[in-house]
Amino acid sequence: MMSLILKISRAIDAVTELFGRYVSWFVLAAVLVSAANAISRKAFNVSSNAWLELQWYFFGAVFMLTAADALRRNAHVRIDIVTSMLTQKTRDVIDLVCHITFLTPFCILMSWLSWTFFLRAALSGETSSNFGGLVIWPARFLILLGFVLLLFQAVSEIIKRIAVLRGVSIDTPSDEGLDLL
Amino acid sequence: MIDLIAHNLAPIMFCSVMAMLLLGYPVAFTLAAGGLAFFVIGVELSPYSNEINLSWPLLQSHPSRVFGIMSNETLLAIPFFTFMGLVLERSGVAEDLLDTIGQLFGPVRGGLALAVVLVGSLLAATTGIVAASVMAMGLISLPIMLRYGYSPAIASGTVVASGTLAQIVPPSLVLIVMADQLGRPVGDMYVGAFVPAMITIGIYCAFVVWLSIFRPSMMPALPLEARKFKGGLGSLAGIIVVSVGVALAAQRWGFTGFASEIRLVASVTLAALFALCVTMLNRKLSLGLMSYLAEEVVIVLIPPLALIFLVLGTIFLGIATPTEGGAMGAAGALVLAFIRRRLNYTMLKSALDATARLAAFVMFILIGARIFGLTFYGINGNLWIEELLLQLPGGQLGFLVFVSLIVFVLGCFLDFFEIAFIVVPLLVPVASQLGIDLIWFGVILGINLQTSFLTPPFGFSLFYFRSVAPDEDWTDPVTTRRMKAVRTIEIYKGALPFIGLQVLVLAIVIIFPGLVTHYKEVPPPIPGGIQQNLPGMSGGSLPGLPGSTGGSLPGLPGSSGGGLPPLQLSPLGASQD
Repeated sequence: MMSLILKISRAIDAVTELFGRYVSWFVLAAVLVSAANAISRKAFNVSSNAWLELQWYFFGAVFMLTAADALRRNAHVRIDIVTSMLTQKTRDVIDLVCHITFLTPFCILMSWLSWTFFLRAALSGETSSNFGGLVIWPARFLILLGFVLLLFQAVSEIIKRIAVLRGVSIDTPSDEGLDLL
Repeated sequence: MIDLIAHNLAPIMFCSVMAMLLLGYPVAFTLAAGGLAFFVIGVELSPYSNEINLSWPLLQSHPSRVFGIMSNETLLAIPFFTFMGLVLERSGVAEDLLDTIGQLFGPVRGGLALAVVLVGSLLAATTGIVAASVMAMGLISLPIMLRYGYSPAIASGTVVASGTLAQIVPPSLVLIVMADQLGRPVGDMYVGAFVPAMITIGIYCAFVVWLSIFRPSMMPALPLEARKFKGGLGSLAGIIVVSVGVALAAQRWGFTGFASEIRLVASVTLAALFALCVTMLNRKLSLGLMSYLAEEVVIVLIPPLALIFLVLGTIFLGIATPTEGGAMGAAGALVLAFIRRRLNYTMLKSALDATARLAAFVMFILIGARIFGLTFYGINGNLWIEELLLQLPGGQLGFLVFVSLIVFVLGCFLDFFEIAFIVVPLLVPVASQLGIDLIWFGVILGINLQTSFLTPPFGFSLFYFRSVAPDEDWTDPVTTRRMKAVRTIEIYKGALPFIGLQVLVLAIVIIFPGLVTHYKEVPPPIPGGIQQNLPGMSGGSLPGLPGSTGGSLPGLPGSSGGGLPPLQLSPLGASQD
């Protein structure tokens, strides 16, 4: 039973990691679009709202779709001045309880709310109010997808915490790179 | 009982959520969960108190609030500047700067410490990432300073304090986030923070010089055998003078037909390229026109300085928005890394990944704070805080001192993102009611946060530094002498004088608001017709600027104080449309 559930957790982790791995390229895309737009605006006086909007579509994709992977890698900041004095086991219990009572309800609520939010835009084909602006629903879809991914990752984290508390060893991914921030 | 709770829901909520944060669960989700839990409680209790304005349909505003965060152009500058900093950091800019500037100043007593302050400032203006600056300088400069007899405390203090400059020197992330939360333009924030940042750097330098005169044994000069450059300052001065001349000439006679700000940027860029080309030619063809020292300094210093000018200069001149500036800077950093042959897949990918993860956690704290905020404002929590703070004695000054203390204490425990997203929005209405200029307020908060980064025992910079400073006795590979470990208490001792200097800067900025509020004195845009009268003026106004590429940054508006318009740039800025 436990091994089946752990397989589910590993499958979720794999999907999350996939997003985490490829979505970061959108940072580069946003940089290039924004730089190109700035140059063309200054040098040739040509600018377009679609380009301006495209840069934050990219950025939105980056943070909405990386959040789940950041959770997997334990990259969301915590205030650990008190809890660093506790044992690892107590911290695992706190994490488990908070995953269930804090994170999961939040993700369920936000997924549900952003579903209707997305659907309205998708059905009406609404575009942004700026002249020449982009279609709005993809941006709203990112919000929906972000919270759904986060919800799944929360489930995976709950499974992993339970496994750890039962004595199954789980390797937590390291967080190299972020130590410089 | 229910009445009592209903009427005091705001304080109860505030304290409960703060207590929840201490559980050590990710801040973003704790804030969101706290906000939602108290939303439910608030709706249930709303019949008992008319201070509670919450109802279920209000929940539906959350997705559009997330959408608002997403489409916020200001916040877009965060990933751009982070990425720029990471690329520069990973392409070894810090190493080269420290090596060359250290050699340039090393022969003077206290020169290495001075070099650390200057490089710290340059890194702050490019990478803007505290941990990266502190760790790079701790790894590179600390061993050299220890090797040649610097007191471990003063060496540690200088590195920690200089690395932390990234908090206040534009394009710092702190200032971007602060501007967003205060609802003011980032450009104004940068202009406002510029003079206080220069004062801080100046005071750090003055302190080092003072020590080198009165406590010479703490910071000896580099011994002869460790000096790489043997003279050659003359040709360095020569190339600087010639390049400034090129910039002036280009500004006056070149690039006609462009708007004056563009001409300025183009001329300075041209001069920088000129200096770089001359130096490269001199080296490749062994012309012998310039000394080795001059070559090294130009080659190492010009690219980052040019990048700083392109990014900050264009933002200050109003040519580019901070977001555009960040994107240009990030693109420029990629070009620099490519030229230095440090651009490869691994480096690029790790910079992208780190940027993405920083963006995710920062933006999610903001999302969590917005969810907390919806409930907290719905139960009139903002009014509660306002009343509380308005009761403080001493008006403006009392409020500023109190807030400084609070933020300083919080800054010892919390990341600045949390302070900016949770605490700052609560302070803004009070600050406006007391007639406090919000940019000034933001800069004061920024200096505070910078100070708390340095403060033992929890200051973040101290941790970063501790992680790279030798914590057990080590053998110096160059002299093969046994060296003592740097003790944590020595790091604390070294940070103390700099904390004192920070408090001094804070006091100066509070007493002389004009140091910040001069950002307002850039005259309002003048219609294009007037531009024709200006070329002579703008030509004459240039001398202020090339200095900035020539390496003498502190000479800029630091001297213009509050009264004068910032730089001579106002006539240039005026001609923008």
